[in-house]
Amino acid sequence: MFKLDRKLTTIGMVLVAGVTFSVMTACAAESKDGAKESKKAAAETSNSATVGVYASKPGALDGGVTYPRENGIYTAYRYNTQSTKGVNPGRAATANEIKAWDLDALPDGSGLPEGEGSVELGDELYEAQCAVCHGEFGAGGSGYPQLSGGNMDKDENGVIITLKNQRVYGSTDAPKRTVGTYWPVATTLFTYIRDAMPYAHPKSLSNDETYAITAYILAQNEIEIDGEEMDDEYVLNKEKLAKVVLPNRDGFYPNIDGPNAIEDIRAFYADRAKNIGAGTRCMTDCKDPGGPDGKTPAAVMEIKYEMSDVTPPYAYDKTLPPKKKDENAHPGKEAYEANCVLCHKTDAMGAPAVGDKAAWDIVMKKGLDKVYHNTIHGINGMPAKGGTSLPDDKIKQMVDYMIEASK
Amino acid sequence: MNKTLETEELDSTSRREFFKTTASVGTIAATSMLVPNTVLADDENIMHHVKWGTTLGHEVNKFPYGMPPLYEHNVVRRTSPLMSSAGDMHAAISMTPLADLSGIIVPNGLHFTRTHNGVAQVDPNKFRLMIHGLVEKPIVLTLDELKRYPSESRILFMECPSNSAAEWKGPQFGSLQMAKGMMSCAEWTGVRLKTILDELGLKPEAKWMLAEGSDGSEMSRTVPVEKVLDDAMIVWGQNGEALRNEQGYPVRLMLPGWEANLCVKWLKRLEFGDKPWYAKEETSKYTALTASGKAIQHFYANEVNSVITYPCPERDWTDLKKGDVVEIEGLAWTGHGTIKGVDISFDGGKNWVEAQLKGLVLPKAWTRFSYMHKYDGKPMLLQSRSYDDSDNVQPTVNQEKAVVGVEGVYHRNAIMTWKITDMGKVSNVQVRS
Repeated sequence: MFKLDRKLTTIGMVLVAGVTFSVMTACAAESKDGAKESKKAAAETSNSATVGVYASKPGALDGGVTYPRENGIYTAYRYNTQSTKGVNPGRAATANEIKAWDLDALPDGSGLPEGEGSVELGDELYEAQCAVCHGEFGAGGSGYPQLSGGNMDKDENGVIITLKNQRVYGSTDAPKRTVGTYWPVATTLFTYIRDAMPYAHPKSLSNDETYAITAYILAQNEIEIDGEEMDDEYVLNKEKLAKVVLPNRDGFYPNIDGPNAIEDIRAFYADRAKNIGAGTRCMTDCKDPGGPDGKTPAAVMEIKYEMSDVTPPYAYDKTLPPKKKDENAHPGKEAYEANCVLCHKTDAMGAPAVGDKAAWDIVMKKGLDKVYHNTIHGINGMPAKGGTSLPDDKIKQMVDYMIEASK
Repeated sequence: MNKTLETEELDSTSRREFFKTTASVGTIAATSMLVPNTVLADDENIMHHVKWGTTLGHEVNKFPYGMPPLYEHNVVRRTSPLMSSAGDMHAAISMTPLADLSGIIVPNGLHFTRTHNGVAQVDPNKFRLMIHGLVEKPIVLTLDELKRYPSESRILFMECPSNSAAEWKGPQFGSLQMAKGMMSCAEWTGVRLKTILDELGLKPEAKWMLAEGSDGSEMSRTVPVEKVLDDAMIVWGQNGEALRNEQGYPVRLMLPGWEANLCVKWLKRLEFGDKPWYAKEETSKYTALTASGKAIQHFYANEVNSVITYPCPERDWTDLKKGDVVEIEGLAWTGHGTIKGVDISFDGGKNWVEAQLKGLVLPKAWTRFSYMHKYDGKPMLLQSRSYDDSDNVQPTVNQEKAVVGVEGVYHRNAIMTWKITDMGKVSNVQVRS
């Protein structure tokens, strides 16, 4: 089998040396058994998926199965099969209510409000309210999303080149996902700023201010509208915003627009092996089919930079947490609760109940020393020290607490 | 992990001796990280009365809402600056302690949490839900009115699509909780959206639904009507009680099996339309950038997935001795249907054996798997690989990488690997080219 050599671990990113990996190297080519196994497994899957109460149907939009609701059973769940017709709570939404809440906008600009704002005003607002998190000019830098500054150059297929960056632990640049390089639609920028920004005071910007900040961010991304550059004087409104075509408008799939959208999505998720990656059910002597050339030995990659900064810190012991000292608690309270509460909580046992002022007024007429004495030596049904073996001073503390709590 | 460090330093002979002497208190050795190095044969916990047997316990209603035992105070959600923007914990994630859970139900206080503008506290008296757009009868509902709809309950997993996002370029977290804890499973109670729409009259041209939250981020997402009419729900119950604030109290959208981000919390508005909205969290985020430079959008279902929960870095095998028979346990789940089975590999994916499923096996719910193993003290690369009734098999890291690349952030479901040393220590590694 293989042997782990602890000395050779984790210096490099890929740890070929860490494992004498006969098991993985032995399967450089897809074993015939493995292929057969996975086909067999797939066949089994299809067969049993159509049996029993789980009778599943392939072809859900997401590529999964749908489970019919039949004979009062939905998968393992029973449900009430009686008609729900006539269950009709709530009331009609008024036109004003809908107007107040229906603020969303579609990519074609429908739903955008009236109003306008200039790049210049947007600059001022941005500096005052946005730059603290998103950096000067939208350049990021403080850990919050970078809004501009990525390279928008495209390849011959119209793909933004830097979005193809694949990082290998810092040896290459990350793809930058800014408004200019990544976002598909500009109306999103407007509605998001208006509804969710500034971060700590969402919904505090007017429509005009939102148009201004949107204009400023688009200008920082060197977006042109109708062939026009957005200089400081440029004033954005709903008509102009609707015309914005962001550079990465076609950078997403599957298609979700137009009359074929749903069928396009269905087709995409129907072929998950091709589109999102899938495994195979090889059982013995499997090679890792994802290797770049089918010959490179698979290797063990260990944690190189452990993210151990977690809150609360890792701890697994089953011990009591540090006791929070209640500074104001009476020193006799805890002992009272452990020893006296059974009889003194109520007057059901004939003892004066803690909290019963009248009862304790009677007790206290005897004088404190007598009360101490009675407690220590017993009185009526109460045994000496209430049946405890606590020292006298502790008993006195408990008595003090009971008197205090009954004033 | 003091004990782990201590046993690490023992040679194998003394380690065997250690376990011989502690064999009589095996349950303590298995559950406590703080076993004293020498436990006398006549255990004082047996030979003497214990404190809790000789004193009065606390009153029955000391905690009108019950709390976990104080001794369990380390079983909590954890977060990390990597799960936030600049360490700010309002738009951040906290992770479920998977290693400490049993069964398939996550207690409400341990359900993972992701927020985009802090945890909103909605006043249920002021809560309103509006359903409008391409429906015959647009309505507004109070919470009480919403709850008058007939309810259904389902056990469903919820998984943030960025579960394991930190691991695309390589393993980064040294715990199961942080590497895979962006998910939970609970019994959710609410009304099927179809039940409501049957009454409101959905217009035939309605293709999409906008779901909008009422929190500061006004989190909104576009959902295809086909899913809405299949199994979508509006839920108000979580494991028998009201949703926690962190889960969207008083109501959230529930799209079984689909990414948790789509299950909009603090739900305020559902609008039906004929075009998708391109909300911020389905464009600039929650789209998976592939190596082609193009990104997958409307990435709905959480794929077939699994992870071994015992052993794991938090609960390792340093207390086992050769010949011990031990149950390997884990969780499998798929948003595409129902888990059919799970395979286990001890050699990093070359050879596999079938594990067994146990407990409830429900669609779009966590499913427990189990494998009895005779521990031989040899190092291993332990993996699990699940498959579902929709013909999905969990991919290797390389298989997923070959299609998606390493910048996808979302929907990572590659096979995970625990490296187990000859001392029984467990660490998070990846088998990849």
